[in-house]
Amino acid sequence: MDRAVQQTDYDAFSCKISAINKKYLPCQKELEFCEMKGFSELHMAYVHRLKSLNKRAFGKVQRAVQSGLPLMNYGTYLRTVAIDVECKSFLQNAASNSKVQVLNLGCGSDLRMIYFLEQYPHLRWIDLDFAESVSLKAKILRTEEQLKKVVGELRDASETEYVSDRYFLKSCNLNNIEKVLELLTEITDPEVPTLIITECVLCYMDLPKSQALIHKLISLYKSGTWISYDPIGGDDVNDKFGSIMQTNLRESRQLELPTLMVFNSTKKYAQRFEEVSKSTEIETMWQYYVRQVTQEEKNRLKSLQFLDEIEELQLIFSHYVLLKSSW
Amino acid sequence: MKLDETITLLRQGKHVSEETVFVLCLRAQELLMNEANVTHVDTPVTICGDIHGQLHDLLTLFDKSGGVEHNKYIFLGDFVDRGFYSLESFLLLLCYKLRYPDRITMIRGNHETRQITKVYGFYDEIMRKYGNSNVWRYCCEVFDYLSLGAIINGRVFCVHGGLSPDVTTINQIRAIDRKQEVPHEGAMCDLLWSDPDEVNTWSLSPRGAGFLFGKNEVEQFLHTNDFELIARAHQLVMEGYKEMFDGGLVTVWSAPNYCYRCGNVAAVLRIEDTLDRNYMIFEAVPAQDDVGNAIIPTKKPQMDYFL
Repeated sequence: MDRAVQQTDYDAFSCKISAINKKYLPCQKELEFCEMKGFSELHMAYVHRLKSLNKRAFGKVQRAVQSGLPLMNYGTYLRTVAIDVECKSFLQNAASNSKVQVLNLGCGSDLRMIYFLEQYPHLRWIDLDFAESVSLKAKILRTEEQLKKVVGELRDASETEYVSDRYFLKSCNLNNIEKVLELLTEITDPEVPTLIITECVLCYMDLPKSQALIHKLISLYKSGTWISYDPIGGDDVNDKFGSIMQTNLRESRQLELPTLMVFNSTKKYAQRFEEVSKSTEIETMWQYYVRQVTQEEKNRLKSLQFLDEIEELQLIFSHYVLLKSSW
Repeated sequence: MKLDETITLLRQGKHVSEETVFVLCLRAQELLMNEANVTHVDTPVTICGDIHGQLHDLLTLFDKSGGVEHNKYIFLGDFVDRGFYSLESFLLLLCYKLRYPDRITMIRGNHETRQITKVYGFYDEIMRKYGNSNVWRYCCEVFDYLSLGAIINGRVFCVHGGLSPDVTTINQIRAIDRKQEVPHEGAMCDLLWSDPDEVNTWSLSPRGAGFLFGKNEVEQFLHTNDFELIARAHQLVMEGYKEMFDGGLVTVWSAPNYCYRCGNVAAVLRIEDTLDRNYMIFEAVPAQDDVGNAIIPTKKPQMDYFL
């Protein structure tokens, strides 16, 4: 099961590369507001290293780029931009001369730390994931000068992780809450404003473990914001999307989504945070697309590939949510 | 080529030789070449929406609606892309058309083009199944000859997408030189791409092509051409069909559990001699048969969830 979850990193990363390849990413917001300079170049440099280090993962990227369905590119665009913008907003609101930290739980091959570490000298960034993902990412960061330059020189000689002055890429199973707390207590400061990101992470965890993670971390840090992106099963009696998704992923790749039908609406998904948090906002990715993406940007996206099905887009995106919860 | 043998193979989703596909496509082209842009069909007839390579659901469609041996069908296009059996679905319909020429009418959908099939799966499917693109090319040649619409008893207009600001009368559709790749704009493009919507006049489509049209445009078109109904497909409808504009237009969708993940039911519409409308709803075949053998392969060639 852990392996099935770990493998989803390659899906997410492949989708991102496909979206870059088809020019969905980066968007103006990422370039200007998030100041993500050299977005495509850095991602391509990472892919280039991946090719020599993990042929299977690289194969997956290649296949994704070849098939690259518009719907997948749209959805990848939305989740990436939405989280980047939230991330930037959080960091911008933190006082420029005071410390701030970001925990990217289940980070996988995500590279957003690169941009924000470069912009915010007082930022400490913690990337946590399964050992296999971490060791691959660490290897790539160690050997790719462009990336290494930003995350900072290695502070210890560990082969399988990457630790510099401000960047911590550590292996850790999020299901083991004691270990997570132990590690975070060691490398983070509970008094410092903290941003926690879970991008398609909570959905793979059992209910008690995911709730424990949310509760323990929110009580560990004095103040912070949690950004979470996940699928939801849908709460309409005629809505079969969630149950079909569970069956499809179980049968094709032994991947389980234990809480998909538990937190099956925006309301229920938000409730898992509301018990311990001060304010929580949530919207589906379809709502995000309709409300947050400007007409100009919609036109740009439309020009990239022929989109064959708006109804399908609406159906699928209505089953993914972005939550922001602050305490 | 023995048509009945090929039909048996296709119904089982089995491999058909490149040579057979070539001959089949050639014969289909000869047949389609003589069809007008808009063909005339008599009642009773069953109207079917998008199929999208869902062969097993297409077989269910025939089973539940009486079968081609005894009934006439109009397919509104989008035979290929998205599903795993685009080739088999399309060829099966071609075989039926050759076997029973007056019982199958095939209208071109926006997916029956070289450009779209390269993005949405049919091209990749052929490369996977044959190792080269010949079969894809043969099929695309057939696409160019598919008709653009049909008229039932002079009263029901069938088209894949919808109306065009460049088309007021059926004669304007008859005047199109259809034997080409679908252009990016103009009447032919609009017929395959447009959607009905709650708009006051022609509006920009959120898709890459075609227009949105509203009740006014539909009423005007029906009145001018003395029609009572526009039957079209092109848009996923969770309930299988949806009537709009006081019943002046209907969307028929015939791919249940679209892309093996949408959870929708499908429908076909039978137009009786009285022009009464009878909808038949059907569900997707299960992914496995009752002894656990996969009917639909679960190792999908493309990813379709955000993980």
